Amino acid sequence: MIVPDYYEFCCRVKLLAGHDALERMADVLAERGIKKPLIVTDKGVAGAGLIDIVSKALSVSLNAHLVADTVPPDSDLRVVNELAAFYRDEGCDAVIAVGGGSVMDTAKGINIIVSENAADLMAFSGVGALKRPLKPMVAVPTTAGTGSEVTQVAVIKDHERHLKMAFGSYFLLPDMAVLDSRMTLTVPPFITAMTGMDAISHAMEAYYCLQKNPLSDAHSLAALSLLYRNLPVVTETPGDREARLEMAVGACLAGIAFSNSMVGMVHNLGHATGSVCGVPHGLCMAIFLPYGLEYNMHKRGDIMGELLLPLAGEAEYRETPREQRAKKVVSLVRRMNSKLNELTGGRHARCLREVVDRDGVPMVPREVLPEIARAALLDGASVYNPEEADYDDNVMVLEAAWEGEPLDRGKVKGG
Amino acid sequence: MELVRDVQAGKKPFKRAYVGIFLWFTGKAVQAAARSDEQVKREFDALPDDFAFSMGCLPNGPWMVVGKEEGAVKYLGGNPEGRHQHLRLKIKNLEAAFLILTFQESTAMATVRNRIITDGELPHALAVMRVLDIVEVYLLPRRIAKLAVKRYPRWPLKRKLFGRFAVYTRTLLGF
Repeated sequence: MIVPDYYEFCCRVKLLAGHDALERMADVLAERGIKKPLIVTDKGVAGAGLIDIVSKALSVSLNAHLVADTVPPDSDLRVVNELAAFYRDEGCDAVIAVGGGSVMDTAKGINIIVSENAADLMAFSGVGALKRPLKPMVAVPTTAGTGSEVTQVAVIKDHERHLKMAFGSYFLLPDMAVLDSRMTLTVPPFITAMTGMDAISHAMEAYYCLQKNPLSDAHSLAALSLLYRNLPVVTETPGDREARLEMAVGACLAGIAFSNSMVGMVHNLGHATGSVCGVPHGLCMAIFLPYGLEYNMHKRGDIMGELLLPLAGEAEYRETPREQRAKKVVSLVRRMNSKLNELTGGRHARCLREVVDRDGVPMVPREVLPEIARAALLDGASVYNPEEADYDDNVMVLEAAWEGEPLDRGKVKGG
Repeated sequence: MELVRDVQAGKKPFKRAYVGIFLWFTGKAVQAAARSDEQVKREFDALPDDFAFSMGCLPNGPWMVVGKEEGAVKYLGGNPEGRHQHLRLKIKNLEAAFLILTFQESTAMATVRNRIITDGELPHALAVMRVLDIVEVYLLPRRIAKLAVKRYPRWPLKRKLFGRFAVYTRTLLGF
């Protein structure tokens, strides 16, 4: 275990996890004196009937709450301002975000405006601009992947001015996160598979990237043992409530790990591929994870080898020679991707050339790889990657990930 | 008995002087590298025409300011006040600056350990960090530069020798 000379760790989110956690949430809100929360969500979540479950649970202990389901797939400043005005006009006293990353970000944006009585959200962008606690916020994730219920960041897009505002502050951590198995039961296998791989990539990158620390390590290892065991189960049997709950807890643990130790090349290339080609984030994570491991193996091989224990169990860990463990971890990640590919009827792509849109059109033509490699140079995740990655390195990794061939580690320029 | 005492931050003249001289020399070297090295040129070309950044330590400096003026990259002195900067790289205190600038801790590890606050857009910060890495490789002997950068680059001999000569000459003569 590496104990850094100095590190920081913070997670002050109260977690409620269980098959009836939503009902307990209502009790906790009532105990805190909250009378009229605003539920923020999107039409997909509302259409799946999840808000009905939340509303029913809230009505056990609260007399009133409001629902706004206008959050778009990409967070939008105009919607944030509209919903903040709605919150004020209706005299709400808390925000409950029910959904994925965009809903969480929108709720955080609303909370900044109503707490700071702000006219311009831009004044609070950047790291550390918020100086005091915000109003109460609850996060109810509806996928097991992003971990945004325990992260201290938000990204709001101003589509009119073509600006992307990023916010970072411990005050953005929700007061409470509710992990209820009912919230993910209806997620289709394809989405389940890629969001689960997103969570696995959080746990793994948090474990081997530069900002790792003993506390984030503990969260990563616990997360991996839950996620790796349960991901094929929930993909094959979406209605398995026990496995769904374990996935939700695993994704939350992974979220705590990576929000305290950051991520590296896998997210770096994933963000770039998402912005250039519109490939879903989770799918990018699934594809790039084995390559991130291979690229950094010459620097972090021993540390990566430790990940074999939560993935394969004690017997296989002991039987595998120490110098083979990291390679075994990579092969297990690839095996998981193949299994998910099989379980989703081929929708879970194993390499970039297999990624297609709804009409079956390839989303990542080979000729855009240089553009992705350039875009990756603008992403902050590269700072935390153990090995430097310049344009040529990015192209090399992207080419291998496009073909679906293992990385030729002999070509990695060691530092 | 005196119960209340007004505590002033220590002056630490030696460390302050070291950090100040290092930042001054690095600022001049960035200007020199922008005229001698193609990669540094490209990095600055991709930044806005009036781009300026500062690097220094909180709370009282010292600082270095570098920016583009009429298309040329220039060292703009040690006073960041009264000048718009797209990016401010703020080292949290003098002790942290001393750790980084004596290469006891690499820039990457200093960032990882939250010793540097980035005030500005991330793509700008990443470009400046790449430039500073290149400048450090030019200025420092290999053994020391390897402590400062994540990966010591494999440059052709021509770039290493002529580039270093050009950067040092331009830095010392100030053109």
